[in-house]
Amino acid sequence: MRSDIIKLYKDVHTWTGIVSGLLLFIAFYAGAITMFEKPLQHWASPPSPFGAPTPLQDTQQLIDRVLADYPDARDGYQIVFQPNAQFPARMSWQLPNPDAHDHDPPQFMHANLTADGSLVVGESGASPVSQLVDDLHRQVGLMLPHEIAMPIMGAVALLYGVALVSGVIVLVPTLVKDLFAFRLGKNLKRLWLDFHNLLGIFSLPFHLIMALTSVIFAFHDQIYDAQEALVYRGENALTQPSREAGSAENTGARLSPAALVARMREQQPEFQPQRMIISTAPRQGPSLMVFGSNPRYGNRSPDGGVVGLDPYSGDIVATDYMPGMQDGWGATLTSFFTLHFGSYGGNTVRWAYFFLGLGGAVLFYTGNLLWLETRRKKQKKAATETAVQRPSARFLGPLTVGVALGCVAGISTSIAAAKVLPALVSPIGHWHTVIYYLVFCACIGWAFLRGTANGAVELLRAAALATGLIPLASLAALALPGLSWNHRDGGLIVDVVAALGAGVLALLARRTAQRIHRAPIDSIWCVAPAAPPLRADARTLERA
Amino acid sequence: MKPFRYSSHDWLGKASAGLILGFLLALSLGGLLVRYGLQGTTPYSLQHQFTMWMVSPLLVTILSTCFLFRSTAQAWLVLGAANLLAWGLLVI
Repeated sequence: MRSDIIKLYKDVHTWTGIVSGLLLFIAFYAGAITMFEKPLQHWASPPSPFGAPTPLQDTQQLIDRVLADYPDARDGYQIVFQPNAQFPARMSWQLPNPDAHDHDPPQFMHANLTADGSLVVGESGASPVSQLVDDLHRQVGLMLPHEIAMPIMGAVALLYGVALVSGVIVLVPTLVKDLFAFRLGKNLKRLWLDFHNLLGIFSLPFHLIMALTSVIFAFHDQIYDAQEALVYRGENALTQPSREAGSAENTGARLSPAALVARMREQQPEFQPQRMIISTAPRQGPSLMVFGSNPRYGNRSPDGGVVGLDPYSGDIVATDYMPGMQDGWGATLTSFFTLHFGSYGGNTVRWAYFFLGLGGAVLFYTGNLLWLETRRKKQKKAATETAVQRPSARFLGPLTVGVALGCVAGISTSIAAAKVLPALVSPIGHWHTVIYYLVFCACIGWAFLRGTANGAVELLRAAALATGLIPLASLAALALPGLSWNHRDGGLIVDVVAALGAGVLALLARRTAQRIHRAPIDSIWCVAPAAPPLRADARTLERA
Repeated sequence: MKPFRYSSHDWLGKASAGLILGFLLALSLGGLLVRYGLQGTTPYSLQHQFTMWMVSPLLVTILSTCFLFRSTAQAWLVLGAANLLAWGLLVI
């Protein structure tokens, strides 16, 4: 390929990468954690006050009692087959909130009938910390209003897409030579570049999926609006009249929840129903929808897919989002969501996406390091003065270290706080966000105060400590059972993964500490030796 | 005459052509698919949703390749002509 084209795309890659890299780091680190959103929410939520769910065959009593006492539930309610932290009771319904935005999470009330026949109604008490991690993921770390954060995320996703294409173009001419090369040698930039290329090229399909789907997640409203205004205008040649919704005559009685589950199993034995929504006057779609997953197929959301049932016969009537029953168009559209969420192939794919997500974060981190290594001033052999780094490197070095490690430490601290906050403050959602940003901003400030090299070591230690707080919070709950909780079922995996993560971060801190004292004096990783040639220069260098 | 060499100095002009005209082109290509490939569709049908999704790969492709135009003017001219053609086929 022509060298000028390579140079052109190298520039494109550098600048799209540097602008989007740190925001993408946050999105990928938080995104990796969202692969285990449900176990995390379970770990972080206090034990449910609802107890065992009402037996399925007694659910009709529960429904009758709730509909009599709670008018809000009359428009529609939900029966939960597999209770979790988010939906801990057998029945729940959405609270009307006229002030809510389209993207605000809906508020639910939950109800259960205990064995002695008393009705327990309340909020779920589920921890909001998994939602915080999800929001950080979707809004590239910016907890701004949805309508501001999403266009920023979309712009970052577009830059990311261009960075991927340009990065591949730059790599192509030397791909065969470089692909399996990993040159551990004196040339540190070469090493980082080999690592960056290796990571990038082998996870390219994953990254292309993330970039292309994220553009749509950010801009679907705008694209639909533009299509409506320009392409699908009213009654023009493009549109056919809407299909008439099939409204069969309703005869007989609605089937009970237990009977509907049985009918569902008859028709789709591998579908695992999680919950069903009954709406008396649906704005669109069938009046009875069952959410659930089918491990054999891709599911539209991390929770699974949806099937519409006839409430009188239990026959499947709507399959647009039903895993395994979609037509070609539906399955194609679902695959875009599925590939983004990793909602196929069960836990194997979940773990694969977890590591691909962390790998993505590392890819962006190494990208920034390469930028710094390329731009640092080399020490001239004969020079008596140490090289003074450019302002851009003095700024981006601490920023990279501070943002990346601040994000890790902030998320860990906020998660660990989940087991303490309910005993101390209310409402806790706000406090989780405050804790995250306090730690995040403190880490960035510290990195600028201490410089890239010292900052990296100390913030790696801080991140290790913060992540270690997660299993420590569980240990504390073991010691003081009144203050906090541990769940008997599940939850331990969160502690184990956090402990391993803390160990890895501590190891990295140790290795970095060794390195900064051996690094050449013109490296950004160099901490000036005890007797530097010039005191003032040494101080500048520390910050470089 | 010196042979033409690419450089990144006029990136802003090319990239804005890629973004604005690329977006409009991606919209119209989806419309063409529905009109000539599928003989129409209903609003928000699966086919309509598919054309909405297609905007993303088309736009990223155009944004990534628009730097290969030789100048800002060429980028606007070529992408503009492509738009005229596509939108023309859509409205006739």
